[in-house]
Amino acid sequence: MTARVVFQKASRWYGPVMALNDVSFELGPGVYGLLGPNGAGKSSLLKLASGQLRPSQGKVELLGRPAFGSPDVFHSVGLCADTDAFFEDFTGLQFVSALLSLNGFDKAQAHKLAIEAIEIVDLKEAMHRKIGGYSKGMRQRIKLAQSIAHRPEVLFLDEPLTGMDPQNRKRISDLLKRLGDEGRTVLVSTHILHELEQVTRRVLLIHNGRVLAEGDLGEIRDLLDRHPRSVRIKAADPRGLARELVLLPDLVSLNLEDATGHLLAEIKKPDAFFTKVQELSAKHGVLEMWVTDENLESVFSYLVSK
Amino acid sequence: MTGATEALPIRPLWGGARDMFYIAIERMLPRPRSFWVFMLLALPVFFGILLRIYPPKGLPLTGFELYGIVVALFFVRNLLPLVALLFGSALIADAVDSKTLTYFLTRPISRLSIFVGEFMAYLVTVLTLTLPCVVMTYLVLCVGTPQGAGFGAMDLVQDLGACALTLFTYGGVFALLGVSLKRPLIPGLLFLFVWEGFVANFPGDAPNYTISAYARSLIRHRPSEEGLAELFSKFFGVGESVLVLGIVGVVSLALAIWIFSRREYVISS
Repeated sequence: MTARVVFQKASRWYGPVMALNDVSFELGPGVYGLLGPNGAGKSSLLKLASGQLRPSQGKVELLGRPAFGSPDVFHSVGLCADTDAFFEDFTGLQFVSALLSLNGFDKAQAHKLAIEAIEIVDLKEAMHRKIGGYSKGMRQRIKLAQSIAHRPEVLFLDEPLTGMDPQNRKRISDLLKRLGDEGRTVLVSTHILHELEQVTRRVLLIHNGRVLAEGDLGEIRDLLDRHPRSVRIKAADPRGLARELVLLPDLVSLNLEDATGHLLAEIKKPDAFFTKVQELSAKHGVLEMWVTDENLESVFSYLVSK
Repeated sequence: MTGATEALPIRPLWGGARDMFYIAIERMLPRPRSFWVFMLLALPVFFGILLRIYPPKGLPLTGFELYGIVVALFFVRNLLPLVALLFGSALIADAVDSKTLTYFLTRPISRLSIFVGEFMAYLVTVLTLTLPCVVMTYLVLCVGTPQGAGFGAMDLVQDLGACALTLFTYGGVFALLGVSLKRPLIPGLLFLFVWEGFVANFPGDAPNYTISAYARSLIRHRPSEEGLAELFSKFFGVGESVLVLGIVGVVSLALAIWIFSRREYVISS
């Protein structure tokens, strides 16, 4: 295996707070999931991997170079960060093209590559609209487009599926799998085990700044299926959707939140639930779906105590 | 998506800076902040038009003298440093605040290219906003008036140069403040009003340590001052002023680049 991303006993502190503690692993081609509850250190790990931060101790290498202070590696690296930050007055096409120009592509090449990337994330119809008017899911997709547009060998994606509707989750999951199959290295952090399972079995399990395990999703998956999880759904017809979801046998509870109009579901079998929502999404206008991670935290506590 | 990228070197300084400039200017010039700053800079033009339409009787100043006051006091001493503070301190700070800096730091361009591109955009923006207002003020107050006849095109060019150099120097200083501090606006205002506002008029050698004293020395047709200001204000030769302002600007920029190139930016949601 050619290691493209190497962590060697890497630690990182923010003042007295330890974000990552003695982390070592190597990533070659393929898709890897980075799994952990909020505050586990996923974003810090991705920031170190993508050269935004220096390790306080140890070594982080990207394509054989120190990740921090080697801008040349970014010809071959893409990043979809966790921040919802854009040039709001730019259109989607302008945004992706402008960032491609920083990679050294001339105007015509940048335009062509930008359109290709925007097509991949299915935003072509909105590419001439200003990003300021995009929905949360569209913003997420245009952020993803800028990260893949220059066809990087290594791709870091921090919660890339947040705020996307079921169809786009599926589309992006398929894209990640395809990128991995092409021999690119993709490290994706997510709470959504269901989609992660569709693209990879390889996972880095992180908790309290330490990589607890590297390996197969199976065991975590079994644990998660035994723990109820919370899902929030935004739909055009929440009552109609609720009427159909309430019939699912593994639904623990279902509430319609008055203030937001969102459905809040507690579920036991994510697979069956997500498949059902996907089937019903066109009929009831499912716009966005989030999985909250409170219960993931309990799974990690369980794992840590094992 | 097929085809892996080859191992490529970092982009050359000027190529990266040019592409960075295009992005930065797009984000800087067509902004509400630029519009309001332009309106402020254009105040003397509106004021001059009013004077031409409704000339007051018994005004003790000629159009040319008014123009001198506007350039020396309104532009060079007060407004341009403020404009430089608003735009210069925001060069990198805005990208940090808006969390868009990550997009630039994860591209194959050096931090020097990022900074140079941003500073070029700053210069183009502030000069685009300022210089037309100075020219318009001259046209409105001086052209067609007998008192303005002695004032040549070279004097106007010199005034434009003084404004440009003032914006460059203060821009460098405030860019340094912007990369050094998380919230540079308040310290910048304190620097302008306390240090530059008062110390430049102190007796003795104190004005030697202010930018304002050198900037105002570049305006040769400044109005005569009265009272304490006349006694204490210190003026330098044009050559000396240009040299000092140039050195202060370049050194500030070099320090700003040094800090920006080494600093970590922890940008998170």
